[in-house]
Amino acid sequence: MRESVAAAVPADPFLPTAFAVTRVQRETGDTATIALRPPDGDGFVFQPGQFNMLYLFGVGEVPISVSGASDRSDAVEHTIRSVGTVTRGLTVLRPGDWVGLRGPFGRGWPLDEAKGRDLVIVAGGLGLAPLRPAIRHVLAHRADYRHVAVLYGTRTPADLLFRRELERWRGRLDWDVLVTVDRADPTWRGNIGVVPRLIGQVERVLEPANTVAFLCGPEIMMRFTERELRQRGIPPERIYLSLERNMKCAIAMCGHCQYGPLFICKDGPVFPYSQIEFLFEVREI
Amino acid sequence: MPETTVSEILAQHPFTHDLDQEERKALAGLATVRTYEPDDLLIREGRAADTFFVIVDGLVAIEMFLPDRGVRRLQTVEAGDVVGWSWIVPPYRWEFDVRALARTTAVVLDAARLRELLDRDEHLATRLFQKLLLVVAARLSATRLQLLDIYAPPAEVGR
Ligand SMILES: Cc1cc2nc3c(=O)[nH]c(=O)nc-3n(C[C@H](O)[C@H](O)[C@H](O)COP(=O)(O)OP(=O)(O)OC[C@H]3O[C@@H](n4cnc5c(N)ncnc54)[C@H](O)[C@@H]3O)c2cc1C
Repeated sequence: MRESVAAAVPADPFLPTAFAVTRVQRETGDTATIALRPPDGDGFVFQPGQFNMLYLFGVGEVPISVSGASDRSDAVEHTIRSVGTVTRGLTVLRPGDWVGLRGPFGRGWPLDEAKGRDLVIVAGGLGLAPLRPAIRHVLAHRADYRHVAVLYGTRTPADLLFRRELERWRGRLDWDVLVTVDRADPTWRGNIGVVPRLIGQVERVLEPANTVAFLCGPEIMMRFTERELRQRGIPPERIYLSLERNMKCAIAMCGHCQYGPLFICKDGPVFPYSQIEFLFEVREI
Repeated sequence: MPETTVSEILAQHPFTHDLDQEERKALAGLATVRTYEPDDLLIREGRAADTFFVIVDGLVAIEMFLPDRGVRRLQTVEAGDVVGWSWIVPPYRWEFDVRALARTTAVVLDAARLRELLDRDEHLATRLFQKLLLVVAARLSATRLQLLDIYAPPAEVGR
């Protein structure tokens, strides 16, 4: 039964393919990373910053960013925070369960544009998940980029995602990885404060006119961060952010995620700030 | 430490680097360079606010001690920034503790003499107060964002 579900590879973009859950890693109290294996064994090809529509059978479908390719298998990883019916169901899956998947969709991080330039990556909370594939790509091609800074903020130390990988990143000497939390008890010896404040700690090594920035996190965090970056002379067309406003079809047909001329699912979710500045003014979404 | 060295440190520091050389020299005349070990208190709530700290290296935390809840660490301030402005506003008493979290080096200015200097030198006073206002504004804005608790689970929002 499982095999026959898995073997059906639909051509219809509305029809999900069944992927097997191979691993579930609890990240924090409400967040887990699930690895999903494609049925054909060919691996899963995606661009950093793209997302998939994950369908929890009989419950519903939600957009979730790809947070990585699993090292040990050809599985594709998604880091999911349990906030409602579908995401709750996805975070309590077990290896051997099945998830329907459509994707990958959308435009990801412009890693090519950042080549030969300084790169600042700013993540807030779960925002590190869509950025992780970009960060891994930069590490794998470190010589292509000039100065690289990764700035990451969460609510408390217990909310830090990908802890072991984060510690490995922090141990490297060829880039800056700074972490801050909004609150902590006195056992935390690191930065306390919001993530835009970390920009001040790396600005001296950046050349603003030649810097690209990738931002992902709650919209208000991106708004504050984008202001800080622009104030330092980083051009708005080189500040990219991932807009995760809700969507349904993911193929620019239903109009659910359409704002003026833009479909978040197809034209995004990653946009240059200069293109979506007007959206930040829209309050009812 | 000789004044010239303090002056050189101030010439490199983001808070003071764009002052005139003479102005930096005047500040250096009121300053010493001190190093603090982790857990040392730079500032203690309630005491006279008699110093102004220009953080050159390391990391310090702004804390408050609550009798029923112990130490609450509110924000950290790192190299390149400054700490303490209670010396500007009467009654010149610290309102928070500031503790070194890492080995920290600071240029420590004598606040009483700094107030006198600023009373005499209006030009320097204007520039320094403008800079301090930017620091205070940035910290207030960061504090507001922190208060919003933007990463809270949806179920807790508004509580
Ligand atoms: C392009 C894109 C990429 C995304 N990537 C991820 C990811 O990697 N990991 C992840 O956990 N989530 C991600 N999301 C958000 C995720 O899709 C939603 O959390 C999910 O749709 C909620 O569905 P639900 O049935 O669990 O909750 P619902 O019952 O639909 O909603 C529960 C609560 O979550 C809030 N909510 C719903 N959608 C969103 C949203 N998009 N952003 C913020 N709050 C929302 C609702 O307002 C409500 O308060 C992404 C969204 C988009 C558009």
